[in-house]
Amino acid sequence: MALTNEELLSAYRYMVMGRMVEQAITKMKGNYHPAEGEEAVIVGTFYNLRMDDVIVPHYRGATIAYIMRGASLRRLFAGILGKETSYTHGRYRGDIWGPLELNIIGMYAGALGPTISLATGAALAAKLKKTDSVAVVSFGDGTSNRGDFHEAINLASVLKLPIVYVCQNNQFAVSTPACKALGCHSVADRAIGYGIPGINVDGNDVVAVHEAVQEAVKRARKGNGPTLIEALTYRVGGHMVADPATYRSAEEAGEWKKKDPIVQLQKKLINLGVLTKSRIEEMHKSMEEEISAVVKQAEEDPWPGEQVLGLDDVFAPAN
Amino acid sequence: MRRMTYQEALVGAIREEMRRDNRVFLLGEDIGVFGGPMMSAKGLWEEFGANGRVIDTPISESAIVGASVGAAMMGMRPVVEIMFGEFLALVMQQLACDASFMWYYSAGKTRVPMVLRTKFGVGPHRGHELDYHSWLIHVPGLKVVMPSTPYDAMGLMKSAIRDDNPVVFLEHMNLYHWIREEIPEDEYTIPLGVADIKREGRDVTVVATAMMVHHSLGAAEDLSKEGIEVEVVDLRTVAPLDKATVLASVKKTGRLVVVHEAWKFGGSGGEVAAMVAEEAFNDLRAPIVRVAPPHIPIPFSTPLNKMYLPDKQKIVEAIRKVLYK
Repeated sequence: MALTNEELLSAYRYMVMGRMVEQAITKMKGNYHPAEGEEAVIVGTFYNLRMDDVIVPHYRGATIAYIMRGASLRRLFAGILGKETSYTHGRYRGDIWGPLELNIIGMYAGALGPTISLATGAALAAKLKKTDSVAVVSFGDGTSNRGDFHEAINLASVLKLPIVYVCQNNQFAVSTPACKALGCHSVADRAIGYGIPGINVDGNDVVAVHEAVQEAVKRARKGNGPTLIEALTYRVGGHMVADPATYRSAEEAGEWKKKDPIVQLQKKLINLGVLTKSRIEEMHKSMEEEISAVVKQAEEDPWPGEQVLGLDDVFAPAN
Repeated sequence: MRRMTYQEALVGAIREEMRRDNRVFLLGEDIGVFGGPMMSAKGLWEEFGANGRVIDTPISESAIVGASVGAAMMGMRPVVEIMFGEFLALVMQQLACDASFMWYYSAGKTRVPMVLRTKFGVGPHRGHELDYHSWLIHVPGLKVVMPSTPYDAMGLMKSAIRDDNPVVFLEHMNLYHWIREEIPEDEYTIPLGVADIKREGRDVTVVATAMMVHHSLGAAEDLSKEGIEVEVVDLRTVAPLDKATVLASVKKTGRLVVVHEAWKFGGSGGEVAAMVAEEAFNDLRAPIVRVAPPHIPIPFSTPLNKMYLPDKQKIVEAIRKVLYK
C-alpha cells in the first residue's frame, strides 16, 4: 500500500497544482473557500481510486479532487466565472459542480450534510448493482454535527455499504472551533456508535491519509462495510477569502503553517532524491504557466445566452 | 434620531428586546465572537454572551430549531438564527409541523413564542439566495415577515420577538448593508400583519416585498415622469396578509401588479392575486399581472441571473401592460 516514488511525485503534483488553481480562483472570487494547508487530506483520500468508484469531495478542496479525477481545467475555470464553456454552461457554480460523467457527486445546494447521504446512496447503488466499486466521501468537522452524517453512517453500517467516510477536520466550522462544537474528543470516536471502525490519521501527511483510506477502500470492496476516518489538519486561512479569521490567534495558525503538507512532502521527495530544488522550480513554473493560459482562455470564453436559461428545461424528457 | 442600516436596525431591535426581557435569548451558528454571518448578531455576544444568552451552536439546524420550539413551550423566548433561508429545508418538520400547529392543537393552551431569523436574496453574494417564503405562508400558524427598510426591520423585529407565535423573519442580504435610514431614538414597534404604502398613486397598485419594493419604487419613479402614478404597497408581513390595505388600494386604482423574488408558480403573489380576484373583482379594470422569476432553479452565471430576476424594467413593462399602454 506504500506509495512508490513515482506515485509520491504525482501526489505532490496534484497538491501543488491544487493550491495554485485555488490561488487563481481566490483572485476571482472573494466568497471562495480555499483549502490551503488541507491538500494532503484531499489528495491522500482521492488518490489511487478506480474510475468506477464514486467520489464525493467536501466543498473545501473539491476543485482539487475534480482535477485529480481528470476534469478539464478550462471548464472548471469557466465554471468559476459562469461561462458557457463550463460543465453546466453557466447554470451552476463550477467550484462545487462535480461532473457525474467522471463519477463525481458535487454539492447542489448550500446546506452541509446532504452530500454524505448522496454518497451513501451511491454506495447503495454499487451494492444493488453487485459491482465492487466503492464510494468515498469527505466532509468537514462542522458537517459531522448534522443529522445527515449520523443518519447516513448508521444506515451504511446496517446495510454494510461499500463506502469510506473521511472527515477533513480542519478544526473550524466558519468561526466555531471543533473543540467547542463536538461533545466527543474526536470525530472518529463516533464510529463506535455505529459499530464501524473509526480511524485517526495525520491529515497533513499525504502518505498516512492515503494508507488509511486505501485500507478502508479494500475493506469496503470486500463487502465488509463502511469505515470512518478522521484526518486532522488545519484551516490556515479564513472560512472564505474575505474572512480575516480574527476569532483565533495568529500564533496558532502560524504553528500549523510550519506543518504545511506540501513543504513536508517536498522535503521528503528531495531526501529520496526524486526531486531537486531546480526541478521543483521548473515544475512549478510550468504549472503556473498552464494555469494562467487556462484562466486567460476562460476569461475570453463567451457568456451564456438566453438559450441556456432553459425556461422549459426543468424536467428530463423520456429517455 | 440615528441613522442605521438594515443590519444595524435588526441587531438594535434584538439588543433592546434582550435588555427589556430576560427570557429572550439567541441560538445560532457563528453568532458568538464572530458576530454572525454578515454581522447578523454583531455586538450581542459582547453584551449578553457572558450570561449565556447568546449561544453559539454546532452546525445542527434541526436540533437548534427543535430546541427553540421546546424552550419556547417552556416559557422562554428564543430568537434562533438559521444562517440562510435555503436551510429552512432542514428544519421544516420542527417549524412547520410542530411549532406552527401548537396553539391550535392545544386548544389555546400552548404558546410557541419564537423567532426564526434567516438571510436570503439574490444579490452580489452569489450563494444561499433562495426565497422560500411561499412554502411558509402555506402553513397555518406561521407568521412570515419580510422587511424592505431599516425602519421597518427595527419595528417588525421588536413585534416578532414580542409575538406569542412562531415568526419567521426573512432578511434580504442585498438590503443588509445598503441604505441607511433615520431611526427614532424613542422605542416604536410595527404590528405584524400590517402593510405599508411606500408610495401613493392613483393609477396602478404594485404589491411587493423586500428587495422588490425598491425595484417597484424605481419603476414608479420612472413612470411618474410620464404622468403615471403608481401606488407601491409593501406587504412587510406576508402572513398574516393585510388584505384590507391591498383591497383599498386596488379599489382606488383598479389595476394590480404583484412582484416577488420567489418563483411565480406557486408563489405568494398568486395568493394575493386570487384574493383580489375573489374579493374585488368588480374593482379591477384590467387583468392582474405577476412579476416573478420563471419556474427554473436560480441560474449562476451573471447574465442568466439577470434574465431570471425581476427588476425595475420588468416591473415597468408589467405596469404598462395593466394600463394597456
